[in-house]
Formats: sequence, C-alpha cells, structure tokens
Amino acid sequence: MNQLYLFATLAGTRVAVEAREVEAVVKLTDISPVPGMGAHVAGLSALRSRVLTIIDVAALVRGRPTPAEQRGFAIIADISGHSYGLMVDAVYDICQVPEGELPLRGQLDPVWSPYARGLVEHEGQPYLLVSLSGFIEAGAMAQAA
Amino acid sequence: MDELLQEFISETQETLEALAGEVVAWEADPTDRDRLDAIFRFFHTVKGSCGFLNLPRFERLSHAAEDVLAEIRADKRIADPATVSAVLGIMDRIAELAEAVAIGAALPHENDDYLIAALTEKEAAAPEESEAPTAPVAVARTSGGQAAPRTIRLPLSLIDQLMNGVSDMVLARNELSRKLRERSGDPELESAFERLSTCVADMRDAISKTRMQRVDRLFTAIPRMVRDLGRDLGKRIDLTLEGGDVEMDREMVEMVVDPLTHIVRNSIDHGIETPEKRRALGKPETGRLKLEARQSGNQIVIEISDDGQGIDTRRLVDKAIAAGRMTPEAAARMSEAEKLDLIFHPGLSTASEVTAISGRGVGMDVVRANVERIGGVIALDNRPGCGLTIMLRVPLTLTIIPGLIVRAGGLHFAIPRSAVVEILHDNNETLRIAEVGGAKIATIRSIRHSMIDLEEVLGMERIAQPGPRAIMVVRSATGVPFAMGVSAVENHEELVIRPASPLVMATGVYAGMTLPDNGKPMLLLDAAGLANAARLPNIIDDQAARRAEETQEAQGGVEMVSALRFEEYSGERRLLKLSLIERVEDIDARLFGRSGGHGFVRLDGRLVPVANGHHDFAGEKVAALRLRDGAREACYPVAAVLDIVDMPAVPDMVAMHGLLSGVAVIDGEHLEVINPFALFAALPDAPIVERTGGRCLLADSEDGWTREILAPLLRQAGHEVVMGLPGDAAVDPQDVVLFTGSEASEASELLGCRVVHLRATPRPNGPQDSSIYRYDQDALMAALSGSRR
Repeated sequence: MNQLYLFATLAGTRVAVEAREVEAVVKLTDISPVPGMGAHVAGLSALRSRVLTIIDVAALVRGRPTPAEQRGFAIIADISGHSYGLMVDAVYDICQVPEGELPLRGQLDPVWSPYARGLVEHEGQPYLLVSLSGFIEAGAMAQAA
Repeated sequence: MDELLQEFISETQETLEALAGEVVAWEADPTDRDRLDAIFRFFHTVKGSCGFLNLPRFERLSHAAEDVLAEIRADKRIADPATVSAVLGIMDRIAELAEAVAIGAALPHENDDYLIAALTEKEAAAPEESEAPTAPVAVARTSGGQAAPRTIRLPLSLIDQLMNGVSDMVLARNELSRKLRERSGDPELESAFERLSTCVADMRDAISKTRMQRVDRLFTAIPRMVRDLGRDLGKRIDLTLEGGDVEMDREMVEMVVDPLTHIVRNSIDHGIETPEKRRALGKPETGRLKLEARQSGNQIVIEISDDGQGIDTRRLVDKAIAAGRMTPEAAARMSEAEKLDLIFHPGLSTASEVTAISGRGVGMDVVRANVERIGGVIALDNRPGCGLTIMLRVPLTLTIIPGLIVRAGGLHFAIPRSAVVEILHDNNETLRIAEVGGAKIATIRSIRHSMIDLEEVLGMERIAQPGPRAIMVVRSATGVPFAMGVSAVENHEELVIRPASPLVMATGVYAGMTLPDNGKPMLLLDAAGLANAARLPNIIDDQAARRAEETQEAQGGVEMVSALRFEEYSGERRLLKLSLIERVEDIDARLFGRSGGHGFVRLDGRLVPVANGHHDFAGEKVAALRLRDGAREACYPVAAVLDIVDMPAVPDMVAMHGLLSGVAVIDGEHLEVINPFALFAALPDAPIVERTGGRCLLADSEDGWTREILAPLLRQAGHEVVMGLPGDAAVDPQDVVLFTGSEASEASELLGCRVVHLRATPRPNGPQDSSIYRYDQDALMAALSGSRR
C-alpha cells in the first residue's frame, strides 16, 4: 500500500489526491471566462496547445467563487479525454504514505461529504482524500441542476 | 508479443473488416471476379502467413475456405447463399481467433470442423437450394473502387501527439514573429522566417487531415449486418450506400457508429415488411434501404431512408397513454410532429413484441441522446405506410471551419461562418428594432426576426460603445433564422475547432472551442443552442415574408426614385428627377444669351431655352443639365452637380408653387424638389428665333436600326423625330423623310417634301444611286440641313 499522494489545501481544507490522477501542477495565468456557466467553471486557459477547463473547486464546494487575484495554482488532470485544471489554494508535497487510505472518522462538514473518500495521514496531520474526477462529475451535476 | 505476430493480427483484422462488405457484394453478383479474387487472396495470405507463424487453426480454416473459393474460381461450383454464409462463418472465426491472439487470451475451443464441414457439406445441398437464387441483399455502392491507396498503421496517440506538437510549433512561431517585429527588420532573416512560417502552416494542414476519415468506414459493417438480419427475419433488402467518400472526423465516425447501427437495425426489424406482406400491400417484395452521407456546411448529414411501413403515430400515442405517460385529452391536442416525437421517449416503441433483434434495451431515446451528445440533431420524416427517413446531422468538430470572430461583453467568440446569413449595423436603414414586453423584434426589409443580444443570453454585462452595434442574422441547421446583436464583428478566420469539455458543452450554447494564434482560448457559439437558451419561438415568420411583397406594393407612396442633387447659383440645394436629365455637360459661357425675356443657349446650331433664366455667367464654362420631356428640351445651368440620391417619388412636404413641387429630406437635409411639369410649362412655347427646321419622319419605324440608332442620333442633333409617316398627311414642306428601304420613296415624294434615302452598304449601288451610306454622319447631316434651305 505504498501510495503516492499529492497534498494541497483546497477551499481552506487539507486534501490529498492520488498522484496517478495528477498530471501536473501549474501556476495559473490568463483565464478566459466562459459566460453562461456557473461560478464553478472559472474559464478556459491555454497550456501550450492544450486548452484546460479551469474548475473553481472552492466555488463548487463552498459556493463561493475565488476572487481573480487569489487564483494561484491548478492541478492538471486528464479526465475522460478532456483536460481540466482544478484550482487549489496551495500545494505542499508529493509523498508516499505507507499506510495508505484510512476510513473517514468524525463528523464531516456536509459540503465535503460528496467528495471525501477517506483520510490520509501525513506527518501526523489528517488529509481528506478526494478524487479529481469527483469534482468534475459534481460540476456536471451542478450544471444540470 | 512477437512483433511479427502482432503485425499479422492487426493486418488480418483490418482486411476482415474491409472484406465483410465485399463478400456480401460478391454474393449479390457471383460473377464479379475482382471481388472473388480479393477474398481468395485474403485466405491465401492468411494461410501463407500462419504457416510460418505456427498458427495451425488459422491455417486449417483458411485452407478450407481457400479450397472452396478456388473451386468457385474454376467454375466447378457456384456461390450460393449457403456457401457465402459458410465463408462468412470462417471469416468470423478467424476474427475471433485474431482477437484472442491479440489480447493474449486462450483460443476459444470451438469446433472448427463444424464450420469446415458447412463449407463442403453444402456441395450436396446446393442443387436443392437453387430455387432461391437471389441473394438476400443487393449492395449498390455508388462510390469507391477497390483499389486502396498505400497505407500504414499508426497508433492514434502518436497522431494526437503530432497534432499537439504542431500546435505548439504554431504558437512558438507566433511568438517569434512578434519578437521579430519588435526588432529592426533584417530582410534576410525575415525571408527565412517567412519560409519557416509556410512550412509550419502546411504541416498543420497536413496533420489536421490525418484526423479525417472517409465515411466509408462507417458503412463497412452495414452490408454484412443488413444481410444477416435480412436472412434471420426472412426479409429481402436492397441496400444502397452513397457518399462514402465524404470525410468526417475520426472521433465523430466512432461516435456515430452506434446510433447508425441501431437505426439500420430498427429499419429492417420494424420498418421493412416481410415479402408476403409487401406483396399484399402492392410494394415490391424487396425492401429498399438507403444510407447516404453528405457534407452540408459544417455538418455531416447522414440520411437513412427505407420504404417500409413508417411509424404508426396512433399506436405510439396509445402506448404512451397505456403507459400512463399522458392523458387521452393531452394526446388529442398533440400535433402530428409532437406525436412523432414520442418515439424518442424512453420505453416507447411501436414494435408490438420485442424481437431478438431489437430487444436489446436500446431505444430511439438512447440514439437521440447519443447523437445530441456529440452536438448532432436527429430528424424524422415519417410517411406512414410508405417509409421513414431518419436524418442525422452531426457537426464536423475538431476540424477546420471558416468562422467569424465576434466581440460581446468584452470577450471574443467564434461563430461558424455558415451560420451567419447577414451582418448589418444597427443604424442601417433597412433594420428596425422594436421591443415589446421584453421581447425584441428586428425587422429587416419587412421580415421580422426574433432578436437577442449575445450578452443577455450569456448573462454578461453589455458594455457601452461609441459606434453602432452589429446585428447578425443567424441561421442554425434546423432552426429558424434569428437576429443576434453583438458589439462588433471583428474578423474572419479559419478556425481549428476542438471539442470543449462536457462541462462547457452542457451549457448548450457552445459547439466547441478553438485556440487562436494569440494563445487565448475562444469559444465557438452554437447557433441552435443560443436560440434554445434564449427560448426563441421556433416559428418561421413566413407570413411576413409573404406579406413583404404586398407591403412593397402598398408602399408605392414611399417608392424611391433616383434624383440628382445639385446646387443652384443662388446657393440652394435642389433635387431633380434623374430620368429627366439627358446628360450633364459643361457649356461655354459665351453661348448663353437672352432674347425676348427668355434665356437661351446655342447648342449644336440650335437655340435651346434656359429653364431657370440665367444667362450671365462669371466663369468660362457653365455646368448645365440638359433636360428633355420627350419632345422639347431645355438647359438648366447649375453652380455644381453634387451627387445622385434616392428621393421619395412624392416629396415629404408637398408645396406646389412655382418651379418647386415640395421638399424632400435626404440624409437630414431639406432639399427643394424641382417640379418638372412647371419647368417645361414655363418654357417659351414657340421655338426661339431660329426655327429648328422640319421634323424628321422615319419611314421605317419598325426597323431596329432606325429606331435604336438613327432616331437617337437625330434627336441628339436636335431634330424632331417622328416615327413612321404621319397618317393624316400633315406634312410640312420642311419635313424630311428618311427611309432605308426603297418602297417608301415614291409615297414620300408624293407628300411633297425632301427625302433622304439611306443604304446599308458603304458603296453606292450604281451611278443613279443618290442614297447615303447610313453610317456616313457628315453626309447625313448635310443632307438634312440641305433639305431645310
């Protein structure tokens, strides 16, 4: 169970993402907005010749869009053939966690319950294990609603 | 796996795919040697290859098939449907084996002997079956020979990688180009860069072509499927495939395969009736099924039509009611189109029982969902009892389309060029925008369109701008044209369209995205989606179109006529109907004079009255309008000729006084309109001083040359021209009769006036010939003036 995880803060919460879901982490530059979309889609951004759909995860989770000047980094992921960038507050580290995924404990904030799959402990701190594709699916649901 | 083996497997699989159609076609026409040879060659190759690859089962199967085909080639045996089925069976088994080898699974242990026996066994059974010599499926392929160009196989990921690489290269080139422009121009460097640019552009074109695939590939599996289904259900089907050479995006092909297969299956299962039933209905026993692909703008249209029984909408409605989906009252209110639309509702089918073919849990609802997911549209043309046509329209995404770049709310968007019918500025005179109850209606040349503002539909802020906004008339593939307001239409570009992520596509207003050279992603607008998002009524305003003509007639009052705008010596600007003005010329000021209270000007040896009485001019030359009311002419000196404008035939303000008939407002300027009636009425009645001479009577008024060439010439020279000889013999001795024939000469001499005879040949016909060559203008004029003395 020597899993590799990426640790980041996302909407003010410590999260862990399985490293195999992550393609890269980039600093966000220009984002072209997509009018007519909910706040959870921040816009499109070009990464070389690829076009990323930038997801404002904070808006998705907490319903509060991230102000443009606070946009920092994005985790790039390829989900079902499309490239996405998921906005995060900060990225710390990529580490192996020998014990791997732990079951959820405690009373989880309901806004996180659709996304949290479990816990990952790193340097004595618990991190919520989230799946990137979960955010995209939730984004699609938010769209349909 | 062994590379050699892998190559063999993929090659076999590919050939099999291509051959399936060929076998069916060969069955329809067993005399087709080329197809037979192609199939024979396939088995021969497989047999040869597996010999040294040590694949004994492949070898046995292909060997048996090769033997049978060799016999057919040698005319020792005929290709009856049973044999073809057996050959197809062997091909299927080879495909299964190849698949198993490819994924490294254990070879399925089924009895190959049975298949091989089926091949040989039928030799005995063949004569019995000869009562059904017709093949169940006749395939007509209107395009495509068998000669395939040389190809190689490449993994898709490599092509995608190449595509991305080239896109990156284009971006790098653009950056380089910007940097180069900033620095001083070195022509050598620039020409080298230019060369690089061209190479990159060519390469991008070539790479994007690798994404395209012929629709043929979509069709390859169809003949086989139709044949098998036809046999299973005991139906005869005549299949026609058209437009296989149309190219569409490879990914699109893959997306369309499933819906298409399903539609074809439905058509055979539920659409086309059994031969017995068809005979009873008076239809040909063989059902017709036609698949046609064509490109229409930025869409591929795939049409599947059959001549089966169509969709029984009544039964659909009954089923929907029975399933509790709707009340009978609601059903009674539905239009035929709405009833037909029920076929797309999940769980509703006209099939009375679920058969083995269609009972797969996939309905038309899934087909529609699949087509719409790729931005396509599905449309039905139902002819109950006569057939059904299903039209799939799928976009050519990921391809290059010509697009317009528009700006709205400070952002740029692309829209396919083909969707735009017309672009106007909102200050255009032919456009009227009215607003009622929040709805905007744009009336363009008396056709009313629903109007939306792009900013409003997309929920953006409308930015105030100094210039006029652009109004585009947009037409989607299915919908009704509507007007869309944007800040500006900026550019026209070839765009490489890629699919946007499902999240973005879910808005329904975008058809894709593109990454232009500036590196800022841009969204491609979907015209139909915009209309949907704005919930525009889908009603064609054809009444307005029909009424447009009537209104045009009714509006005769504001009919526009061309008018010359000029400036008088007094400084006023006035208008005069253009049709009255023969020409505008500069006349020597000295030619103007005054006599008996009237101004006149000497022109071409005649005195022409001056309409506005001016006769004293400062300059040497005077700009003058030469007017003619048909018989009389007049000269109208003006200070300056300005331009030609459209004025209402009836002036905006009618004020009949003196020379003016009223005031017209042109471009916000009030202009007096000259009343031509008053103008000519004010001219002195009697010709001034010099009598201009007699009339020219043109005897041959029916003659084209006389009418079109001679008459204008004489008029221009100031002669009064009368067509034909006056019947009342009111001939003045000063009149001259001109004729081209010979008959009229005596008659006109009797009239007692001079006669000029014109001839068509340059040379006189004889010494007695006093006629004048008709193009000898000097002689003609001399003869006319001589006649006056």
